[in-house]
Amino acid sequence: MSWENYEHDMQRCTRCSYCKYIPWRFIKNFDFMEGCPSAARYNWHAYSAGGKFNIGYSLLKEKIEINETFLDVVYKCLMDGSCDISCKVGQDIEPLQHMQELRIKCVDEGYLLPQHQPFIRNLRKEDNMMLKPRSERGDWAKDLPVKRATEEKVEVLYHAGCRYSYDQELWPVARAGLTLLQQAGVDVGIMGEDEACCGGRAYELGYVGEMTKFAEHQAETFRTAGIRTLVTPCADCYATYRVLYDKIGKKLNVEVYHITQYLEKLILEGKLQPKKSLPLKVTYHDPCHLGRLGEPWIHWNGKEVKVPGVLMWLHDPPKKYRRGTFGVYDAPRNVIKSIPGLNFVEMYRIREYAWCCGAGGGVIDAYPDFAEWTALERLREALSVGAEAIVSACPWCKRVFKDAAKKNGNQIEVLDIIELVQQSV
Amino acid sequence: MKLTADEYRALEDIVGPDYITQDPVIMESYNQVWGNKLAFGDKRHNPPAAVLLPGSIEEIQKIVKFCNKAGILFKASARAFEYVATYLSSERGILLELKRLNRILEIDEKNMHAVVEPYVTVYQLQDAAGRVGLYTGKPGVGYSASVISLACCHQEMTISQIYTSGYGRNVLGCEWVLPTGDILNLGTSNREGGWFSGDGPGFSLRGILRGRAGANGGNGIITKCSVKLYPWYSDPPTMQPLERKPGEALSAAQLARIPDNYKAWVFTFPTTEQMLKASTEIGQAELACIVAPAYMATGFQEEGNDEMWTKMKEGKMEDPNKIARSVPVFINGHSARELAYREKAVMAVVKKWEGYLDPDLNNPKIMAQRFQYQMWSTGIGGLRATGDFMVSIQGADGSTEMQLKFRPIEVEAFKPFRERGYIVQPNMGMSYRPMEHFSLGSSGGIATGYDPWDPESLAAAREYMNLVYDPNGPFRRFGYTNRGAMMQVEAIEHIHERWGPIYDHADKWLQKVRNMLDPNRVADWSGYIPPEYESQKKKSAS
Repeated sequence: MSWENYEHDMQRCTRCSYCKYIPWRFIKNFDFMEGCPSAARYNWHAYSAGGKFNIGYSLLKEKIEINETFLDVVYKCLMDGSCDISCKVGQDIEPLQHMQELRIKCVDEGYLLPQHQPFIRNLRKEDNMMLKPRSERGDWAKDLPVKRATEEKVEVLYHAGCRYSYDQELWPVARAGLTLLQQAGVDVGIMGEDEACCGGRAYELGYVGEMTKFAEHQAETFRTAGIRTLVTPCADCYATYRVLYDKIGKKLNVEVYHITQYLEKLILEGKLQPKKSLPLKVTYHDPCHLGRLGEPWIHWNGKEVKVPGVLMWLHDPPKKYRRGTFGVYDAPRNVIKSIPGLNFVEMYRIREYAWCCGAGGGVIDAYPDFAEWTALERLREALSVGAEAIVSACPWCKRVFKDAAKKNGNQIEVLDIIELVQQSV
Repeated sequence: MKLTADEYRALEDIVGPDYITQDPVIMESYNQVWGNKLAFGDKRHNPPAAVLLPGSIEEIQKIVKFCNKAGILFKASARAFEYVATYLSSERGILLELKRLNRILEIDEKNMHAVVEPYVTVYQLQDAAGRVGLYTGKPGVGYSASVISLACCHQEMTISQIYTSGYGRNVLGCEWVLPTGDILNLGTSNREGGWFSGDGPGFSLRGILRGRAGANGGNGIITKCSVKLYPWYSDPPTMQPLERKPGEALSAAQLARIPDNYKAWVFTFPTTEQMLKASTEIGQAELACIVAPAYMATGFQEEGNDEMWTKMKEGKMEDPNKIARSVPVFINGHSARELAYREKAVMAVVKKWEGYLDPDLNNPKIMAQRFQYQMWSTGIGGLRATGDFMVSIQGADGSTEMQLKFRPIEVEAFKPFRERGYIVQPNMGMSYRPMEHFSLGSSGGIATGYDPWDPESLAAAREYMNLVYDPNGPFRRFGYTNRGAMMQVEAIEHIHERWGPIYDHADKWLQKVRNMLDPNRVADWSGYIPPEYESQKKKSAS
């Protein structure tokens, strides 16, 4: 559905502002009731999902034009989907899809955010969003004894993703993930320098054509290499492969796992055994792309209908809305809980209504100060529940949290679940 | 005409550049609220000339004084979940969004009151009060409503008002920036200087503050307010356990059980009259903390409209005819003994009027949800079904007897509309909320759903509204409600002018008071009463 097709949703947004907060019923601490970083940081209503429905409607009615402020509102948004979850507790409308389509419209019509251009150029030229050359993509695993999926058959492809491939400080995590699979006896391989971006981050910026191109490339690569199972330690890649490709009609013929799901499986099967006690109080940050945005796509092709005398807006056939219910929430928690000695404590904003880390929607590239502010908010929450470490399951979360932690004097350790398991087995 | 560059700069000097904007894109998010289509014929109304986010009362005073000097209209809003909240009668009007004034300043456990700033929501106050064994009322609107808006600007009625009274009657004192920019403190101080009582020696201008039924910002800005609180005998709402099965959406999560020290039932009676008699006796004996059929029909909330429709088709919805003869009654007590006494007394009254417990209406899971909805909040489910609703018949000054008389008239009046099918009334029964143990009558309102984006439905809604509010129509003078069901946008419909003569020209007094408080006519009157009606303007011109 294109942007114009959301007119009915624009009309039906009531200005309740529920999109700004986590669902009210789930608020446990009013210090941590905000759900939308953009609305919380930039104050004006336009920065909320409801506000974007408003400016979308005014654009549709030709009351305003796309200009610098419009782009500021559209792109100072983490696309984390918290608004979508809160809205749908009470409404049958699609705030996140509307925001995505607004971005696609901006790109289609040539209203490009200058800050994003180097990343897009590099993606087109070097197949990654990290401003790095393609030739360095495999460096993270250069000295590891691991099969190349392009050269020999493997049961499982380990897809590191752009951030893990190029962010040298995070290489140990990417390597540990691969090593754990090997230790468990999994026949695993990598693509090395032949690995390419999933295209998901470009899609979120509005470059739907870029992701389509990568979806087709990946499908062909996986088909040629005979890949049946893919495991990724990156939540962004997971959501792209599992959800976004399906959304645009390019579903992969591959079983996609996030590494936390695969580790849970290996632990349950007894192939990995966390034994060493880790005396640490930890909390878990749900990556948006693994949690609510990792929920499988639900295709619906039908029409809105109204029943006379009932007047409710209904769908024929009935439409199942994505409400975040079926994101990946339990697997990472189960892995953490399997590690002896850990004292696990939940934050106030969790699962479907978790607060974003700050790296989503291109914000980390275009507005690093906003990304840092968002991450610091999350660290404040983690500290408020007494956690000594915040654990996540995505390199983007890890990067932005690590940078933010330096700003607050490293009061809290920033870990990935992979690191915990590695220390314990 | 918007603001001049000098005017904008002057306002910017007051709040700082981060807290003012007149950007056209941003302004377009301050002119679109539910109900607009009915009130203004469009989703959009005029955008404000600028929006400001003042951070202190001093800044608000300076802004208001500058508006007086420059002839700029102003209005303050808190959560702005209401069409009158963002509408300004002139393009040279500014909106003050009070989101930076967001603190609960005090909860006085001993004297049972709280002092709050404008952005504090009902749910925040319910929770903070609940931590010290106190409770504020439960309004009809959702979790996010501002306490000050309800108490000082709208005369909000509450579901719990048999126990807690309405928000409008719970104001003990407030800090009021008058339309001139001067500060007036209402209420009586106790020895320590805190607000203690709205009456007694000292000013008690609650009626003036709110006008007839809510000034909606037309009398200036309330920056602090003290509201009365009531006993609460359980954990605060955020500490109550929620229950949700794996695979269920968040909307399905609900209170796991009714808290200790509370009991809740839905009693069904052979006739509506018997139901009302029993309700009155239970209320007047001060036995209950909820007697409010108003929201009984809410039932169990489904995930979405499609799920709700499936349930309707399968015949799983509660029988509206049975609901019409039923009433929810909740009791509380500070001890098991008190609770037992109240239960025994309630059951005796119910038995006297031949009431019974219908198992279909007393499913423990649904009762827990009813408890959650009626004590804390319903959310905004009412806006999802058809896209909008309006409320008909009696407002703040109704009585149950009056509603008993007028409800059949409304059923009859609605019949042709029901047959045409462009507007709907799912609730077949009376909908009322008695106030202060039935000592002050009750408020009520039947929710009428319509689809603002369907021209025939919108036309039918307007037609029905006009019928209800026609002084010569079936409801005569009693159609005049507390909020005029979207008729109170004075820039469009002079409801006061229309109804004033029937009510001893009360509108003239409202107008006089308003104009005395606002000599320069800068406090926006769109949700209140205009300084002059158009007819008055023409008369003075001729």
